[in-house]
Amino acid sequence: MSLLDKLKKIGHRETGIRDFCIQTIRFKKFLENARALLDLFADGREKVLGEYIFDRHYVVTLIDSVVDRLGRMVYDASVLVPESGEELYAAYDRHKLAARNLIGSTPSAADDAVDPEYRLLSDVLKWFQGTENTGNISVMEFMRQTFFHVIQGLESNDAMTRNQALFDKNGLHASDMGIYVIDLWKDALSPPSENRSIRDFNSIPLRHLFMDSGNGDLEKAGPKANQHTAAWVAAVSEYQLSLTTLKPNFRFRLETLASGYEPSDFIFIFAGPNAPLDKIIPDGFHVERTNYGQFAWSLSITAKTIEDTLMIIGRNLFDESVRRMQ
Amino acid sequence: MARSLEVLLLDDEPIVGRRLKPALDKIGCQVEVFENPKEAVARIDQKEFDIVVTDIRMEEMDGIAVLEHVQKKWPRTKVILITGYAKMDLAREAMEKGVFDFIAKPFRPDDLRRIIASAAEALGMPIDAASPNDETVAE
Repeated sequence: MSLLDKLKKIGHRETGIRDFCIQTIRFKKFLENARALLDLFADGREKVLGEYIFDRHYVVTLIDSVVDRLGRMVYDASVLVPESGEELYAAYDRHKLAARNLIGSTPSAADDAVDPEYRLLSDVLKWFQGTENTGNISVMEFMRQTFFHVIQGLESNDAMTRNQALFDKNGLHASDMGIYVIDLWKDALSPPSENRSIRDFNSIPLRHLFMDSGNGDLEKAGPKANQHTAAWVAAVSEYQLSLTTLKPNFRFRLETLASGYEPSDFIFIFAGPNAPLDKIIPDGFHVERTNYGQFAWSLSITAKTIEDTLMIIGRNLFDESVRRMQ
Repeated sequence: MARSLEVLLLDDEPIVGRRLKPALDKIGCQVEVFENPKEAVARIDQKEFDIVVTDIRMEEMDGIAVLEHVQKKWPRTKVILITGYAKMDLAREAMEKGVFDFIAKPFRPDDLRRIIASAAEALGMPIDAASPNDETVAE
């Protein structure tokens, strides 16, 4: 079949699954861009604290990179939650202006004791992190707000209900686990025609997540009991896993990439404010708790560590004591 | 008593000389700092330095030209290039022309001190790359 024929076929058989897959992949890009911003910030901070020798070119490049990544993150967010696009782009424009002002700023004679490159970098870090005296919203705070917009959009009850109907309509239950499983690349083009087992999916993170929990509660709540009781959806590719709960009273989302290429591998988790996160994730995560929810992430870790971590999370997540709290 | 290592440091960004000179003074180098390549070349014509550390990208004259000039005038002098860009073609050209080593910005003074210690070793003038205030000895 030619590429054109495939495209025609896709056009005629649009099921809604493709949009879900695109949204999942876009959310991964959104996280990648957020991670790149954190890396840029860490790099700048290391340069200041480590007494590095750098020139103005380094700082200007850092500012340009922050603006670029922030723009990509806002673009991702606007695709994921179009209704927030206008507000996010307006805030992004203010950050672009702040960046331009930083690049155009000239050192005053009163600050001769500090190298201008160091002072500029220090100002960039203040712009990024914010200070008590700064009235303007920092890049970090803007990132946080953008996260809230995106998560609220993705985790809304409307979105959950819509997805559940979509998965049921397209027969995406894994027959042995009572969970919706979607192959991000294959199912986007052509939904499955028959029931599949978890073992049919070539996904390293999925395999590890369920390695120790395959005979547990998930199976008991499987499709044989009730076709409409699936409470989880796992969107997968060979190295990627996006696991989301569909329970309205228990918000939990896990995103991971375990490709073996350390600079891009990560685990990201969002959980509702009352979810027992401490009982689910092992030590080693950076955790931020807000009124809206809890964010946890682990970056620059080996694929082996991610696999081991997923086994622990899978075991904990579907453990009876945690399940009672869901 | 062995004589000090004579180092010429050239970078058109003032911060480099300002920050590096004290760091190299601490390990006993005699450092002359230049921001203008032409003035540095004029000084090189007058005096044989043990080591020349130069930025690769400058407005009036680039680091490769400085390297060529040094090699022609004082073949014994070791040249270390500072670069802000990972440019393979420039690196290859500099290697062919006999550069001793590269260091990429941003870097720490210790990173350059280690390269200078290697160059000093190659010149038969070994130095201790750790500054007197450092608790640890450089690898």
